[in-house]
Amino acid sequence: MLGELRSRLWLAIAYFVTLELLLIGALAYWPQFAENLDKLRSLIPLPVLQEMADEIEASGFPAYLAGQHFFKGANSIGGLVAVLFAMFAVALEVQRGTLEIWLARPVSRTRLFFERWLSGAFWLVLPVFLSTLSVPLIAGYIDERVDIWPLVLSASHQSLFLLSIYAPTFLLSCWWANPLGIGFAMLLLALFQMSLYLIENVTHYSYFRLADVRVFVEIYDTESLPVGDTLVLLALVIVPTLLAWKRFAKLTP
Amino acid sequence: MARGLRRRFGTKEALAGVDLELGPGGVIGLLGPNGSGKSTLLRILTGLTRADAGEVEIDGVKLEGDGLGVRQRLSYAPGEIALYGELSGAAMLEFLLRGRTAGALSRGRELCARLGLPLERRVRGWSHGMKRQLLFAAAMAPAVRVRILDEPTEGLDPRKRGEVLAILGEDARLGTTILLSSHHLGETERVCERIVFLHQGRKISDESRSSVLERARRVLRVQFASVPEAVLLESLSGVQRVRIEGTRASLELGSADPRVTLAALGQASALPAPIAIEHGSLSLTDLFREFYGVEAC
Repeated sequence: MLGELRSRLWLAIAYFVTLELLLIGALAYWPQFAENLDKLRSLIPLPVLQEMADEIEASGFPAYLAGQHFFKGANSIGGLVAVLFAMFAVALEVQRGTLEIWLARPVSRTRLFFERWLSGAFWLVLPVFLSTLSVPLIAGYIDERVDIWPLVLSASHQSLFLLSIYAPTFLLSCWWANPLGIGFAMLLLALFQMSLYLIENVTHYSYFRLADVRVFVEIYDTESLPVGDTLVLLALVIVPTLLAWKRFAKLTP
Repeated sequence: MARGLRRRFGTKEALAGVDLELGPGGVIGLLGPNGSGKSTLLRILTGLTRADAGEVEIDGVKLEGDGLGVRQRLSYAPGEIALYGELSGAAMLEFLLRGRTAGALSRGRELCARLGLPLERRVRGWSHGMKRQLLFAAAMAPAVRVRILDEPTEGLDPRKRGEVLAILGEDARLGTTILLSSHHLGETERVCERIVFLHQGRKISDESRSSVLERARRVLRVQFASVPEAVLLESLSGVQRVRIEGTRASLELGSADPRVTLAALGQASALPAPIAIEHGSLSLTDLFREFYGVEAC
């Protein structure tokens, strides 16, 4: 397990640093953003994004934080990292011919599978939590105060969302020995989903609706996870993972 | 032990019902031309490829249902060389020996030292032969009953090849069963007690080295001045079968003593004059070509 964790350490550090820098930059800009919100809103072309500005006007700093850190930062960078971690997981072993030496050792298939799955998931989720937990510290510099508990819940929801991208990509990696093909397919899917999100009449069909500003503001206000969305995301993590495990176990006796 | 192994890849039948008894102890040579099913057989035995039919049992443990149990009882050096280039030799060895007993790693390091492998350097900068030796060392390190080695000497210089074969021989003397797939037929002749020959997914021969060598002595090869007539050669005393390639003829004899046939050959005035005669010096390549009409590799 340590070897698996070590193999992704540098990418995870880079991912954390990127999230943290984006967060610091965004939070440092909050006072000017709040002052100029009306003017900025008039520049926003799409109704869906104007809706986001309305949320920020109504809820203030938590909504801005949700938009910048979760919707913009973690969804884009985290989504990319989720695909990167998962697309190479098994497919790369097949592509570069190391599957034999990986599987020939006397280690159970279940252990090999879950070590790889969990190490990727761990590095995917940990930077989200660490950067989110640094928010109170950074917010202090701009005279804002945020409670820890809603942040923990928001980070949990965001993590679940990222895992719901990670798990299906991992499943594809167990099926298809072409990691770049998998990455490209996921990129196209993400672009399609983002396009849906930005179109007013169909925005509700977008996957990104499960982790947008509205969801995080609700978590912040109610101090609880949205049950329906959480169940959907859990299913989108568990089902592909079980299918991937089945597929992986079937690779060899 | 393998029984009735079958494996098909699309329309090609890679294995068509192969039985193989492994052990007890010694080196078993696995030979066959490219595409004969050797690597598929080895992969099935190690649980890396699923057989369409048949069963594998190592030391009383069945592969289907207890793959882990089988992998604990055997070690494997793959023929394809693919390692994690970013790892050092030491880390790569540790990776390969994961799941083995504590003694395996120190034994692996000893073997690598004996083979002169620079374990502190990244594998990416190693030569093909060095990588091959690392896989060999990792397969020889654990204390297991069966070792499966797919072309462990391929790409090695003669000195390293000798060292690898020496390690292999030492291990076999301790009672380990080694299934060795090799394209170096000379070394197979040297180290293997038993030779299994695969052709088109079928086992066409499984005999002891002494029996193979005995058969080799039953072949007389004669180079004539011009193309001989098969009928005349078949009528020679002691000859059972004749194969003619140009001016060269291979005569399969009824016994290992060629004297009767040689005498008859001397008296057969209708045949062209013999230029060269070879007896008892067949390599395995020659032998399999003579007996089965197929190239051994």
